Amino acid sequence: MNRQVERWMIGVAWLSGIVLLGTVFSIIGYLFYKGAATLTPSLIFGETQPMDALLLRRQVFDGLFPAMVGTFSLVVLSVGWAIPVGLATGIYLAEYSGKTMKRTLNLFFDILAGIPSIVVGLFGFSLAVFLHKHFSERIYPCLLISSLSLAFLVLPYIIRTTQVSLDSLPPVTRLTALALGATRLQNIFYVLIPKSLSGILSGVILAIGRCAEDTAVIMLTGVVATAGVPKSLLSNYEALPFYIYYTSSQYANPQELMTGYGASIILLTICAVLFLLAFAAKRGLTYHALYRA
Amino acid sequence: MDRAIKIQVDHLNFSYRGNRVLRDVSARFEENTITAIVGPSGIGKSTFLMTLNRLWETMPHATMKGEVRINLDGRFSNIYDHSYPLAELRRTVGMVFQVPNPLPMSIFKNVAFPLKLAGFCDKPAVAEKVEEALRRAYLWEEVRDRLTDHAMQLSGGQQQRLCIARALILEPQILLLDEPTSSLDATAAAVIEELLVNLKKRCTILVVSHYLAQVQRIADRVLELADGILVPSLLNL
Repeated sequence: MNRQVERWMIGVAWLSGIVLLGTVFSIIGYLFYKGAATLTPSLIFGETQPMDALLLRRQVFDGLFPAMVGTFSLVVLSVGWAIPVGLATGIYLAEYSGKTMKRTLNLFFDILAGIPSIVVGLFGFSLAVFLHKHFSERIYPCLLISSLSLAFLVLPYIIRTTQVSLDSLPPVTRLTALALGATRLQNIFYVLIPKSLSGILSGVILAIGRCAEDTAVIMLTGVVATAGVPKSLLSNYEALPFYIYYTSSQYANPQELMTGYGASIILLTICAVLFLLAFAAKRGLTYHALYRA
Repeated sequence: MDRAIKIQVDHLNFSYRGNRVLRDVSARFEENTITAIVGPSGIGKSTFLMTLNRLWETMPHATMKGEVRINLDGRFSNIYDHSYPLAELRRTVGMVFQVPNPLPMSIFKNVAFPLKLAGFCDKPAVAEKVEEALRRAYLWEEVRDRLTDHAMQLSGGQQQRLCIARALILEPQILLLDEPTSSLDATAAAVIEELLVNLKKRCTILVVSHYLAQVQRIADRVLELADGILVPSLLNL
């Protein structure tokens, strides 16, 4: 009986794994099947010469280039805001806070993690309106407001992964540098953070994915269908998920829908590039902190 | 032969999660000797070592009462004095743990790490001190050609000697060792024993050990910790 259950359990585990992998591969395969044909330079650059577009000499009208730049800058900015704040909060929770403080703050961050993105978007929108009224007429929903709202959305991931990876370091690691005369801060920066970079990285990757896919927040805070490459933090921008959303909801002919699939492939590629950048940054940081002689 | 007292422990009480681990412990440790502390596992031997470099203060739910004074150039200072700088204390009182704990970096960087912490960054001088520390820890000949290798590539015994070298680089006056050979085979342990006997010329050494044979080989004095009290062991006879 018991052995039967064990075998059955292993079977179920394998099956789940296969279903999951199968789904992932069929989604990606389907995207390529549908969208591969549209993957031409003209999908990205339209009628403009690629070199002119990349050097920002000519504007791209009928291509995805502005949306790619928009999504890329949006993700980099949002994660850029969220990492320092999230790291600092995670370090505080793991290393400095007392028991009650930790429990209270964790409750708040769980609530924050559970806020639907459309609500965060609405908040960002209200913030833009408020700033427009009371601070400067120049402020509209824009790249800055969107990236701040998204940072707010992904902050809990970074806080939680930082805290958990610091908490799970073995006690002897914690004592090593202290016993050699390290101050608390030296211990954190020279030993504990470098040792938990892998864990922190997983939070950053989650955050990158979330920022790249989110449509609800940016719809309310500054994305538009045609804006060109964003000129500053205070300008409107285009973004791939929004492009995919509106082509698939209001396409006029099958060709137009196909460009939606093409855009999805490009979005996945941008995410992959950002993940690789995050890995490279982690390796570089670990090397600098720990291995360089 | 009368030696100067190096460490003076008075009325030390220690509780962890409400359990009294040490009860009114008083002891004197002489300069340039090896004192072994024996006793059953979990009785508080490691804790006792940690009261000598205040490392216990990082443990939650621990409280301590009592005094620990160390003799620095003829003057006794209370290490629990508020004005006593903690980082300095841990440079004066080095510690080596039961399981070798090299940091995940190169051999050279591991040994130089305490210097970096102390803000000492004159490169040629660092290289010189690293070599000297490795020599004192009987490791130089084995690693001189591969200082940039990852420390985790060393054998267990070598890792432990690396940790001793790392503790020695700041020239501590007192060296605490918490069962330093318990994770090593007999040959590796023998090297460390010899090393310790040689080191007592420079340091006052306290070593927690389980191995009675080892204790009898290297220790000048043996104390036994039982029921929270530190008493001279029968092994001294």
